[in-house]
Amino acid sequence: MDIKRNKAKGPEPREVKTEPMEGQDLESVIERAQGHDAEALGEIHRRYVQRVFGLCRYMLDSRESAEDATSEVFLKLQRSIGSYDGSIPFPRWLLRVAGNQCIDVLRRRRRGQQVIVEVEDGATVIEATSPERSPLGTVIRMEEKAQLQAAIARLPENHRVPLVLRYYSELSYDEIGQQLGLQRNNVATLIFRAKQELRRKLAHRSK
Amino acid sequence: MECYSEQTCAIFVDGELAVDEARQLRDHLATCRRCRDLVDALRAENRVLSESLRELPEEAASPKAFSRLRLSRVWGDLAVMAAVLALGSIVSVWIDELKIPEALEWFNPFSPSGLTNLMFNLSDYFAHGGTAMLTDYAAVVGGFFLLLLLGSGALLLGRRGRLRQPGLRLLIVLLTLSLPSFALERRHGEFVTVPASETVDDTLLASGNTVRVEGVVNGDLLVFCQTLEVRGTVKGDLMSFAKRTVVSGSVEGHIYNLSQSLDLDGQLGHSIYGWAQSFHVGNRGHVGDGIVVGAGDVSLEGEVKRSATIFASNADVSGSIGRELTMAGGSLTLTNTARVGGNLSARVRQLKDVHIADGATIAGKRDIQMQVRKSQFTRPRFYFHQAVWFAAAMLVGWLGLVLFPGFFQSCTQAVGSGWRSLGLGVGVLAGVPLAIIVAAVTLVGIPLSLMLFAAYLAAIYLAKIWVGAFLGRILLKPAGATKGDWLLGLLVGLLILTIVGFIPYLGGLVRLGMVCLGLGAFAWQLYQASRPAITA
Repeated sequence: MDIKRNKAKGPEPREVKTEPMEGQDLESVIERAQGHDAEALGEIHRRYVQRVFGLCRYMLDSRESAEDATSEVFLKLQRSIGSYDGSIPFPRWLLRVAGNQCIDVLRRRRRGQQVIVEVEDGATVIEATSPERSPLGTVIRMEEKAQLQAAIARLPENHRVPLVLRYYSELSYDEIGQQLGLQRNNVATLIFRAKQELRRKLAHRSK
Repeated sequence: MECYSEQTCAIFVDGELAVDEARQLRDHLATCRRCRDLVDALRAENRVLSESLRELPEEAASPKAFSRLRLSRVWGDLAVMAAVLALGSIVSVWIDELKIPEALEWFNPFSPSGLTNLMFNLSDYFAHGGTAMLTDYAAVVGGFFLLLLLGSGALLLGRRGRLRQPGLRLLIVLLTLSLPSFALERRHGEFVTVPASETVDDTLLASGNTVRVEGVVNGDLLVFCQTLEVRGTVKGDLMSFAKRTVVSGSVEGHIYNLSQSLDLDGQLGHSIYGWAQSFHVGNRGHVGDGIVVGAGDVSLEGEVKRSATIFASNADVSGSIGRELTMAGGSLTLTNTARVGGNLSARVRQLKDVHIADGATIAGKRDIQMQVRKSQFTRPRFYFHQAVWFAAAMLVGWLGLVLFPGFFQSCTQAVGSGWRSLGLGVGVLAGVPLAIIVAAVTLVGIPLSLMLFAAYLAAIYLAKIWVGAFLGRILLKPAGATKGDWLLGLLVGLLILTIVGFIPYLGGLVRLGMVCLGLGAFAWQLYQASRPAITA
């Protein structure tokens, strides 16, 4: 019953006209979104929802949690878009926000513990392996992308998260370190190990 | 000079090496072929990684485990036999112990409470032109069942009666579904209570006036009653057929609801699917998945983790919905506290019936449109469809007359008994769905309920033919009773009924009356035919 009394006289909804928004350049859409324009926020959602979902899907273990995280990102965007200052490209900024959201989810699952644990000292120096023995690009290229994707999905969180942040969100080591609360050289090591793990998985499969 | 480690090269390729070190490495690359190859390979690797990641990950579900399921013929036959035995035993046990109808008094159209309920529902139904929808739906679903029957018949014939894998799997599924009903605990009484100290380990089937669950039910909970209150915990699903359902405790599975009112003030692990007069999620209510409901009034004050799909004449949202909100119907209100995590799409009759408060949060797009009801009479397709349906009805009438002349003609005459047919028809129209539900909840009764449903829809379709033929007879007053006369009467009667059926409001009433009359006549004739004195 209370709801009816509280019924706010909102603006009259109009029939949605999507055409003019789609052609607009990103800057003006963002500007309008910062002014809490619902249509502009909707347009940003339309343009980037797949990209954000992709990141969440790689970062989190299930489709459901990825979908949840994605909608959370866009919900929070209404408030946080005001803080976007244009110093970095918007997609990158948005992916950083999305990355943070996923890390939050992972952290919550571990009841506040650090998501990515630091690697032990000294591990940063890894013996050079001869290129002949590492499968690297040429072998990976022969693999189907789907296989590579599956292998990435099967990586342990510790390796998967930094790898995805680096090559999907294209964040720098420093940015990743900031998000995960890690030293820069730790980030480098984790990414390197993630790749080695991937090579091992793929080499094992292709045998 | 000594070569660099692979990790250093990888950091270099990522563009993350300190400026000085990067310069030294670059100098080294100019002279060292091995390191140059390594750096090239690392670059290629990064490229492949970025490209692969850019595409959305595929779901790694592998259905191989299921498609390779092969059973030998002996095992197959054994499974079929076991399934048949299991089904038979369960059905017999079930029929013995069935005491549900007493608890469903409110749903019985002849009881005072059932009558008010029926009147209430029917008035709402007329106002929304539901009868037209029902008959159309009946035609579509009836056709689908016919196709399914024909298809599976042909398949079985083609395989010479051999039950191959699909059939076998269906039986196995039925068998596994039927197993839990062995572990079914039944309780019946005026007041059925599961006290706070009690834990029911099986699926609980409760019927009575008031059912109250304060303890724990580890299986599913099936309830037929006037009032159901869940204050404790149901670990499985809740299937409720009640006048009023209140959940203030927790249900860890789904809720399937066919109550007149449903209030959720507790925790629900998964989704709600339901049909209700009024549907309410209180501010302490939490739905772990989504909701799909059709209701007169819907109010959402609590939290729905995923999407909400609502068909309602009036929907108020002041809580939070994690994903999309899809609404179709009369009016929609989102208050200041409402939160929608995805798109909002609404289909309403008038745009002014949508109120979205300034403080309401909607993450995705807003898509609010009017259901433009363009007059169907302006479209040529409408006339084509009507002509096809008309021809089909004539064809069905002719077939019926050729195949079962006596039955069809006496059905036509039985329509003339007026109130008897009408009353019986209302009873059948309301009672058969109930029987279908009762059959379906026994799990093993699902095939039976599907068959009953198909027959029900077929009878609804045939109703207009008997009523049409009767109407034509009254008007034309033919001297003879030849097939030609009967068909001419049918033609005239159907034409009149079709045209009258399009009059707003009255049309709906006429269609409903027609369905009831025809169903009643059909039921009466079935009853007569089953009496040996008459058939002899």
